Amino acid sequence: MSNIYQPDLMTIAKVINEAPGIKTFHLKFQDEEVANNFSFETGQFGEYSAFGAGESTFCIASSPTRPDHIECCFRETGKNTAALANLTEGDTIGFRGPYGNTFPIDDWKGKKLIFIGGGIALPPLRSVIWNCLDLREQDGRYEHISIVYGAKSVADLVYKREIEEWNEMDNVTMVKTVDPGGETEDWDGHVGFVPHVLENDFKPDPENTIAIVCGPPIMIKFTFEALERLGFKQDQMVTTMENRMKCGIGKCGRCNIGSTYVCIDGPVFTATELAALPNDF
Amino acid sequence: MKTATLNKSDIGKCIDLLVQSDLRVIAPRLQPRLDDEGTDSIDVLTFTEVDSGNDHQVGEGLLPLNGVKEFLFAKHEPLFAYEKRGKKVEIIPVHHEYPQTVIIGVRPCDAASIASLESVFSDANAGFEDPFFTERRSRTTFITYSCTAPDASCFCTSVDLAPDSSKGSDLHLTELGDGRLHVEVITEAGEAVAKKLEALLEGEGDQAAREKAGASVHEKLTRLRNSAPIMDWLMDTANFDDEMWQRLGEKCIGCGSCTFVCPTCHCFDIVDENKGSKGYRVKFWDSCQFDHFTLHASGHNPRDWQYKRYRNRFNCKFKIYPEKFETQGCVGCGRCIRACPVNLDITEYMAEVAHKAANPNAMKADSDFE
Repeated sequence: MSNIYQPDLMTIAKVINEAPGIKTFHLKFQDEEVANNFSFETGQFGEYSAFGAGESTFCIASSPTRPDHIECCFRETGKNTAALANLTEGDTIGFRGPYGNTFPIDDWKGKKLIFIGGGIALPPLRSVIWNCLDLREQDGRYEHISIVYGAKSVADLVYKREIEEWNEMDNVTMVKTVDPGGETEDWDGHVGFVPHVLENDFKPDPENTIAIVCGPPIMIKFTFEALERLGFKQDQMVTTMENRMKCGIGKCGRCNIGSTYVCIDGPVFTATELAALPNDF
Repeated sequence: MKTATLNKSDIGKCIDLLVQSDLRVIAPRLQPRLDDEGTDSIDVLTFTEVDSGNDHQVGEGLLPLNGVKEFLFAKHEPLFAYEKRGKKVEIIPVHHEYPQTVIIGVRPCDAASIASLESVFSDANAGFEDPFFTERRSRTTFITYSCTAPDASCFCTSVDLAPDSSKGSDLHLTELGDGRLHVEVITEAGEAVAKKLEALLEGEGDQAAREKAGASVHEKLTRLRNSAPIMDWLMDTANFDDEMWQRLGEKCIGCGSCTFVCPTCHCFDIVDENKGSKGYRVKFWDSCQFDHFTLHASGHNPRDWQYKRYRNRFNCKFKIYPEKFETQGCVGCGRCIRACPVNLDITEYMAEVAHKAANPNAMKADSDFE
């Protein structure tokens, strides 16, 4: 019988230093059969391990429309992320996944999309941003795409090169901001917290729009409140949760919010779904 | 249903027959343990492997200290081994023995917990099957024994169970009061075991005497709580912020004892036990009562107070298990009450919730704290 806790081996094909303490890995499966059978949908996550240190939960930060490799982006915070950060190109890591539900991108056809993220929460959004941009390129399925992204300081912004790429794209509005005090002399973006910039500077029109929010719990809370004041209804607001996990598959018992397990029932939730959950996140 | 009788004095012979059939037999047994000072040894009743029928306490004494959980869901076990060689890593499967096992003398409360664990670890839960659990489960037969000695902490009758319940049993034994046991074959696995014991089984059972004997134990269960309204009350998310949680949970010290003795607690951790370039990835029991259990890498902790962690445990038993896993979360064994160093009592919560559910307009339930 297959061992659900045993990871597949992946090779680090590329390491990108995104920001202080934050790295991106490009990963490729070592086993050809595993590589051929692997597929995922945007919004799903995996368990990534540096052998000898443990496992960590990160979303898959790349888009399923770009299947050459998968990407993850992480901040060095604990034992396993520190061990991962010490690895270099050609090294081996363990990967279990994909797990969890997905962003309902097909339901968003014909709508305007706003992606709102803070700090290290851009990687989960990056997967769905590229997925939606690539699909729109094929069939024009989304009307307009906006990206509102902020970090503590200019140095802390991740995917800096892609922020510029999105900024240059037709039919994409890129709004970037840094927290007060985090700006540099040549900073050409906003200064202010993401929910504040969203509500007071960007002021999106809720008509036929879906807002996809990712960030720490407190940022999600304030952003949802700002969106509601702008006229967004709860079912127009989507987020992805990142509770602490070990197994990722509904067994180890720590990511639950009431009877909802973030690992198997999420990580993607609408604001309507979150509002029905007990206050435990 | 097939029934028979068995002399209680022949239980040792039953164990011998099972051992001789190359089965691993686990039974309640008095085991010496060091006392708190570490100087004297005291005898503690625990489920443990026995190699003959000479030394067992089936049907004697109180509830064993441990449940049968550890024989299905190991306290600590390697999931695989790994070896790092330069940039490469090799994963080496770990061989686990899953011997055919019979656990005899299982209390009805413990037997009922097996279905609960199964609902988490089987593929019925989101399609992911934990093979370490299911391999053991499929090779384990449970011979249950109607409870004769509930103690002051027992409350199985408050959670829709009974001291003579055969839920989760393969072969069920009930004392008839005359030195004989009534034997009920519940499942095919139970039938297979009964066949091995054929020489000791006689005729047909005595159903009427069995019912009577079972009912007489009901009366000994004095801790009666009404669990019927609990789930409905918990389903109302407004009650998640009820003042009760902090008031009752304030004395919890977060030691996790309740979770480790609980037959339905299923939480675990996964870590790498590493030495040089080699190691094992291991899975071992964890507890939702520990402060780092839900701690995010960012420092945010959804359950940042101990009462919130106990609130989760109570919700897990009476809401999450029935709602998410469609099975019973608490079997009323009372181990958490006995184990708690600060006398936190789950049935106090049950009573308070039942009171609140019955009096929805009352601001606060009656309590000593008012």
